[in-house]
Amino acid sequence: MKTVFINCSPKKRFSASSYFLSLQRLFVGGTKVTETLRTPADHNRILEQLKDTDAVVFCLPLYVDGIPSHVLRFMLVMETFCRQNDLHFYLYCIANNGFIEGKQNEPLMHSFEHFCRRAGLSWGGGIGIGGGVMLNVTRILFAVDIAILILNTVLSVLNTGNFFPKDAWISFGENAALLLYFNLGVLFYMIRMGSAISSHKFFGKKYTRILIPSFVFIIFADIFFIIASLFEGGLFRGWLAKKTV
Amino acid sequence: MKVILHDLDRQYDNMLESRCDRLITADGKYAPCQGCFGCWTKHPAECFMNDKLRQICRVIGQADEMVIITRNVYGEYSPEVKNVLDRSIGTSTPFSTYRGHQMHHTLRYGKHPLWKVIVYGEISEEEKETFRYRAQRNAVNDGYETSEVLFISDLKKLEALV
Repeated sequence: MKTVFINCSPKKRFSASSYFLSLQRLFVGGTKVTETLRTPADHNRILEQLKDTDAVVFCLPLYVDGIPSHVLRFMLVMETFCRQNDLHFYLYCIANNGFIEGKQNEPLMHSFEHFCRRAGLSWGGGIGIGGGVMLNVTRILFAVDIAILILNTVLSVLNTGNFFPKDAWISFGENAALLLYFNLGVLFYMIRMGSAISSHKFFGKKYTRILIPSFVFIIFADIFFIIASLFEGGLFRGWLAKKTV
Repeated sequence: MKVILHDLDRQYDNMLESRCDRLITADGKYAPCQGCFGCWTKHPAECFMNDKLRQICRVIGQADEMVIITRNVYGEYSPEVKNVLDRSIGTSTPFSTYRGHQMHHTLRYGKHPLWKVIVYGEISEEEKETFRYRAQRNAVNDGYETSEVLFISDLKKLEALV
């Protein structure tokens, strides 16, 4: 069994789509191929992979309540290709958006369903994820936690000869558990969708989010953009002004 | 200000131009959004890509009436039109708020009256339903009071609708 994962993020590195793609891969059996879709130059390479696949998983960000334009361009080419080659594999979708409500991905899901109907493919369903950017940050925080644990262990060995600094491990465990909790909704549905992908079954449309209260999320999102705008200079260039042409 | 965004042939430009204050022709000769958020955080309401969509959010943001003419692609805008919309998120600010009981960004240019979509090309009933839903979502997201979606099978009827 072969599954092709298509990372549709236009970003080269550290995209939320690549994070969710990596997670979903863990729960799918058989041969797994990962492709990136950023420009039309990627089209033919991806289409070649579709000829003998059993399932395709699109991982993409939500843009203006819908599918990013570069993905729509590919879907039109893919529709023709699938019809010409009489392909009928299962298609699944993992969409993420920056707002906290995963339900905001619903119009995108509908369009993928319509695409499958026109291309003659089997619509398998998908997961709509809210707070995608912040969930992506949790993997960076986890890497930072590991680095701090290693540093504390090295310092402990040098200072006292103790290879197991208990306090550092407790702190690491607490942080890791918190980050895991934020991702629980996503992991729950990815395990279930992974099972559906592996057994070629319909999964349906499911919506989830980062597991923190909405009003807390908004505060963190605002802080994130204030800091980003401070460092990138936008804060000093009419950050909220009504700019004219 | 009335703004029309369309993906039709150039032959429609004169007619459409006479019906609006600003015409945007979605011809696909521009780059897709790179998702960098620079139009929020680095150079507000301006894209880092130096093509004809660089300041497009400043035009769309000031529209009282936004009219989009698009062919149907799976209940979604055509890639050419969607590209323009993707590049115009600078109409909002990076700050968040609640609108329609959901999280959205605050509006750089305030509220607007009408988000109108005219869809042409072959379309199923399910795709029509998705388009109505999408227009509602777009209207809430971009701060429009109402949305309207019209479906036309013959482009000769277009002139009476814009």
